[in-house]
Amino acid sequence: MPRLVIDDLQIEVPEGTKVIEAAERLGIMIPRFCYHKALGSAGACRMCAVKFIHGPFKGLQMSCMIDAQDGMVVSTTDEEAVAFRRQVIEWLMMNHPHDCPVCDEGGQCLLQDETVSGGHGLRRYPGRKRTYHDQYLGEFIAHEMNRCIHCYRCSRFYQDFAGYRDLGPMQIANRVYFGRFRDGPLESPFAGNLVDICPTGVYTDRSSRYKARRWDLQRVPFLCIHCSLGCSTVASARYREVVRIEARFNESVNGHFICDRGRFAYPYANLADRPRRARVDGEDASLAEAVRAASGRLDQISMNAGPDAVALVASDRCSLETLAVLKRISREKGWRHPAVFPRPDLEHKTRRAVSRLDRRLAVSMRELESADFILAVGIDPVHEAPMLALALRQAFREDAGIVVMDPRPVSAPFDFDHVAIAPAEIGGCLSRITEALSALQADSAAQGKETRRPEAAGPLRADLDSRIAGIVERLRGSRNPVIVCGTDIVRDSTPDRAADLARLLLQLKARPCLFFVLPGPNSFGAVLLAESPGRSFSDVVQDIEQGKVKALLVVESDPFKNFPDRERLERALDRLDLLAAMDYLPTSVVGRAHIVLPTCTVFECGGSFINQEGRVQRVEPVHEGGIPVHQVSGGGHPPRVFSHEVPGGEIEAAWRTALEVAGYTNARDNLSILKIMAEEHPGFARCRDIPTSRSFRVLPDAGDRPPVCEETGDRAAPEAADTLEVVLVDRFFGTEELSGYSPVIQNADSEPLVFLHVRDAEPLGIAHSDWISIALEGGGLEVRAGVSAQMAEGVLVIPRHRLLEWQKLGPVPAQIPFGRISRAGKE
Amino acid sequence: MIPEALKRELLERTARAEHPREMAVDVMYALQGYYGYMSDEAMEEAAEIVGMTPLELEELATFYDFIYRRPVGRYVIRVCDSAVCWMEGYQSVVDHLTSRLGIGLGDTTADGLFSLIPVCCIGYCDRAPAMLINRKVYGELTPEKIDRILQKLATGKPAAGEE
Repeated sequence: MPRLVIDDLQIEVPEGTKVIEAAERLGIMIPRFCYHKALGSAGACRMCAVKFIHGPFKGLQMSCMIDAQDGMVVSTTDEEAVAFRRQVIEWLMMNHPHDCPVCDEGGQCLLQDETVSGGHGLRRYPGRKRTYHDQYLGEFIAHEMNRCIHCYRCSRFYQDFAGYRDLGPMQIANRVYFGRFRDGPLESPFAGNLVDICPTGVYTDRSSRYKARRWDLQRVPFLCIHCSLGCSTVASARYREVVRIEARFNESVNGHFICDRGRFAYPYANLADRPRRARVDGEDASLAEAVRAASGRLDQISMNAGPDAVALVASDRCSLETLAVLKRISREKGWRHPAVFPRPDLEHKTRRAVSRLDRRLAVSMRELESADFILAVGIDPVHEAPMLALALRQAFREDAGIVVMDPRPVSAPFDFDHVAIAPAEIGGCLSRITEALSALQADSAAQGKETRRPEAAGPLRADLDSRIAGIVERLRGSRNPVIVCGTDIVRDSTPDRAADLARLLLQLKARPCLFFVLPGPNSFGAVLLAESPGRSFSDVVQDIEQGKVKALLVVESDPFKNFPDRERLERALDRLDLLAAMDYLPTSVVGRAHIVLPTCTVFECGGSFINQEGRVQRVEPVHEGGIPVHQVSGGGHPPRVFSHEVPGGEIEAAWRTALEVAGYTNARDNLSILKIMAEEHPGFARCRDIPTSRSFRVLPDAGDRPPVCEETGDRAAPEAADTLEVVLVDRFFGTEELSGYSPVIQNADSEPLVFLHVRDAEPLGIAHSDWISIALEGGGLEVRAGVSAQMAEGVLVIPRHRLLEWQKLGPVPAQIPFGRISRAGKE
Repeated sequence: MIPEALKRELLERTARAEHPREMAVDVMYALQGYYGYMSDEAMEEAAEIVGMTPLELEELATFYDFIYRRPVGRYVIRVCDSAVCWMEGYQSVVDHLTSRLGIGLGDTTADGLFSLIPVCCIGYCDRAPAMLINRKVYGELTPEKIDRILQKLATGKPAAGEE
């Protein structure tokens, strides 16, 4: 490891570390624009010049371009270097407009900082400044090219790092322009990161434009809860309103970046129609009154019909605190344990995935980037776990091979081999890969013995054989393979099969190699706290219909979002003696509930969540809660009435209100939530010792053994050739619950398409972007079709889009006869 | 739209290339030869042929002097402004051309005959100052020589680009 001296301080750094990086480790921030840890060096801006005094380089050099070497002596404060940097910043400022007072970057602008640190204060150049036309880049990002200093960070991120091809540098020399071929929304779902990496205000966040200066904001290290990955963010609030989300560096999870869903989903917390007042039987009430009413009625029903007549419903957007409290109160009260998952299969698969994951197997997203072969099954990365796609892209850039085994028309910002097969076939393929790999292993262990050829595990298509053999070969030949497995569209046993393969690979390669993607932000926590086997919401509905359940307490969950039969659910809810809803979203259930208990969003009360690799992450609130000032004041001056109370400020975290409903008095003062969490699950005891914004994994040293002949729910591929299997899927925008409330995302979202294979579409006379209608028992579904050759045959891929009544399709997997699908006359 | 035969030929040439993007400039040249310049639509056609995005092609087109993103005159005069030509009288060549043609650098005459563009460099340093008209090079320029050349081109005698 090279040892060098920078500004009289000695440091030893790993081979290949740039001098600029070595200095940063010493706490010396050499000025820079083009250099960025994630993007590497470009040597374009000339801002990081330092003086090399001894060693293999001499004189003024760019510290981002030179590797630290033994014996180097470097000065960042040498007169010559300082003078050089002063000139660089002066000429970078030559064309830069003096619009800082109206620029959103003002106050968090690297260019401002470096201008000051470079010592440039007086403008000497009297000429005209270069100007550009700006482009419309979509709903998320504002473009202001006059501010550009040509550091190339944006195009290096956009094209090289993220792999999208519609934004880049054009023109030459002083006229270099960063933009698109023509105006239009940026295609990359990671485009929001341009706001963070641009060292000045060329790209700014439209959703927070002109709202606040950085120093006016309440900024808190935060956590993204819009998929199961749990990326780190910084959340900012002002005047009781969340105004901006930025990416926060996390060396284990998301690196430097986040996706646009995570960045622009926050407006759900600011909705004007968010439930802010408690309600009892349609009348506004104080929170205390509503809690008393709920508590009394629940006790009454428990007494009359037995505690088993009270059921709880939660969801995987509930914090760990809330889930732990619900578990505690349901046990103490004898109420039914909360149903968290909308469908039994989702709960089963999540449970299997969680129970198979252990310390030796689990790969973090950062570790995934150094894999040399990745087999991703039952996952469409960009749509289900967007930052996973960016991690896979980094592996791809380091020459990793990637195979995606999925029925969907998967598109991703990296090259991969797509094995397009139906969900039912995925598990069989995994088993065959595992068998073939272990047979090969056994062969090489006992050479000379008769080779045992693995038999085909199921009636799989012949053309798959060679592809499977190819995957087996590549797994064998790789040093660091990783299996990525989704839990949404796959069959019940697929997570186990993926884990079986991963266990074998662990034996062979002695490296962690398993990465699950789970349904939601806290699915992991939900199954850790759930009883076994857990109840899903559909069981609860059945019990309501049979009169077994008389009261329902719905906590931060919207059953209408997922339940297949809306009318049936409405009828069931009408039968209830008590429907109580606790939520921060204006859901349909909140609209119909007898008692409404508003709760805080995670921005207002913080909380803990466990991501898909078992990482517990806890965050503090960003602001104290209450109705946003501009909603109270109607955009004018805040009310000139003095009061100790914050409008809408009596709302509490769901777990506090839940405790109070269960009869715990003084829940606010005397109960330690950390104690409750530790009592409900021993793994959470560490929460007490861990400061917020640090994380730890709750994983056992060794996961479950493979289950013995558990084949629930798995069916072979449909024999009948005259039906299509419905595959319900998530999309980047439009299917996730919280982001669906964001107006800016609603504007940016494109029309949902239902995909089918070109060979399935042709006999029906359906072409790409035709309107089709799908005849169902509960009425028809009219939607635009997408026709693709890059997907499995025999499936109909339908997004759970908020603009589509996909719930009508009923429980999946469902088969739809070809005869029910036709071209619609609509144009 | 370019003629089907030209499109087919370009697709075949692209298919033969080791990497289709190698053909980016050739394809743009071919389309420019057909249209006279690269319109936005031509850019999109070319992008489709080489399998690149219009933006990626635009990065190249706006960097490379010999692709025109705006209509140009029948004769494109490129005056070399590299160091050697500059030392040998580039400025007087440009001054003479602009006054004779009545246009500035980057402009096209009203009759659509001449466009004037600086270029750096055309490798004619031994005969500086030099200029290029369509595909023909002229060196050791003097005002008289320039007048003769312009006269010849304007009166429709053998066109310089077709030799």
